[in-house]
Amino acid sequence: MRRVVITGVGSVTPLGADVPSLMRGLREGRSAVRRMEGWEAYAGLRSLVAAPAELKDERRIPRKVRRSMGRMSIFAAQAAEQAVSDAGLDAEVLSGGRTACVVGSTMGSAGSICETFEIMLPERDLSNLPSTQFFQCVSHTCAMNVAQYLGITGAVMATSAACASGLQAVGAGYHLVRQGVQDVALCGGAEELHPTVTGSFDVLFATSAGHNDAPATTPRPFDNARDGLVCGEGGGIVVLEAYERARARGAHVYAEVVGYHTCGSGVHVSQSNSPAMVRCMRAALDEAELAPDAVDYISAHATATLQGDVEEAAAIRELFGDGPAVSSLKGHIGHTLGASGGIELIASLDMMAEGAVCPTLNLDEVDPDCAGIDHVTETREQTVHVVLKNSFAFGGINAALVCRAL
Amino acid sequence: MSNDDIVRMTNEVFEESFEIPAEELRADRHVFEDLGLDSLDTVDLVVALQKKFGVRIRSDERVRGIRTLGDIYEFIKAIREEQAGTGGEGA
Repeated sequence: MRRVVITGVGSVTPLGADVPSLMRGLREGRSAVRRMEGWEAYAGLRSLVAAPAELKDERRIPRKVRRSMGRMSIFAAQAAEQAVSDAGLDAEVLSGGRTACVVGSTMGSAGSICETFEIMLPERDLSNLPSTQFFQCVSHTCAMNVAQYLGITGAVMATSAACASGLQAVGAGYHLVRQGVQDVALCGGAEELHPTVTGSFDVLFATSAGHNDAPATTPRPFDNARDGLVCGEGGGIVVLEAYERARARGAHVYAEVVGYHTCGSGVHVSQSNSPAMVRCMRAALDEAELAPDAVDYISAHATATLQGDVEEAAAIRELFGDGPAVSSLKGHIGHTLGASGGIELIASLDMMAEGAVCPTLNLDEVDPDCAGIDHVTETREQTVHVVLKNSFAFGGINAALVCRAL
Repeated sequence: MSNDDIVRMTNEVFEESFEIPAEELRADRHVFEDLGLDSLDTVDLVVALQKKFGVRIRSDERVRGIRTLGDIYEFIKAIREEQAGTGGEGA
């Protein structure tokens, strides 16, 4: 098995269109959550807040490539372009057949899917459907569009596991490079806001509905007064590369990926499950050949749902006690769903480089059921040598990735 | 609707849907070779023209014969006259 390192990062997030703006926003403790104009029009939608990202400079993508992109694919393409530039990869590497593109999302572009049905269904008439509508709606829309845009000719795959999509993509890329199938892999996830997306959580009473008039005070991961998640959007892409290759070309290395695991709970389609989370994190650590006390920081999934946060806190408590620092970035940027694994991994790498852990925004009073772990409530300067990133998703899907500084 | 209106509105479709600058839009320009449209764009061109002019042309065999922008002007003029006569306009 080969060693795998991260040599490039790129993001578009509710805090800005690149990684520096994301980190600036996190360091300044800013919330990107807003009240969404027009969402009142949806009867029964309780949660009217979200963390939107700005769509900008999309015309820099040539029209014939852009026409098959919905909003999430544009985020993915821009994040991927940044990551490629950051890693210093040239076009020859991308088109040489040894570079993969693995980008996940919950589903295809929600805006495009709704638009398609709005065109087609009222009169049961397909004659006004644009040719590229389908390409925006498919589950692998981000992966294929990024690959087309950058001319990637290696493996092109999409992980579709809701909120674990992005981290599963990084895990899949890690496997491809580790096993020698590919030398380089662009991996991560993207997602886009839409009232129907928030609505899918809202009907399950999993959204934050009590802060419509004070958006910056929600979501509240691990907090006693939390009332649910807030959807966000964006894209987060990392470049994975075989260690020897990165070293040979003198590339900057953010960290080494040393362990990954994904598993199902087999228990419930929507409820998080602590024993399965423990199993997932433990397996990732086993692959990394690290004991729990080697982990310095856990980037929690914690979305501020009532049940999910309790289960994750219990899982961390069981495996790590109050050892590693724990925080969730959902208070700043909302839950970017399929993009969260990539975006939050990138933020964790910056925390590793800077030796400063970002706190959980809006965590004012820890829920007693979430206690017993080391919650970070204000910026903490500390050595971060090993990071564990968690992502958990509907369907009982768990994913955990371990990175170590070199 | 005058012939000038047809030219102006057709050119608007090329500017809006295909991002082609107005100065490149002349009757003799070849839609594929000069203006760079491809097979996917042809589908979108039909959809955009249907919306712009309120006509139904998706199944019209004459679409396949279109080569130049001028061909489109003439085709739209003809189809509008035909569909106005048969009450097909506005579909």
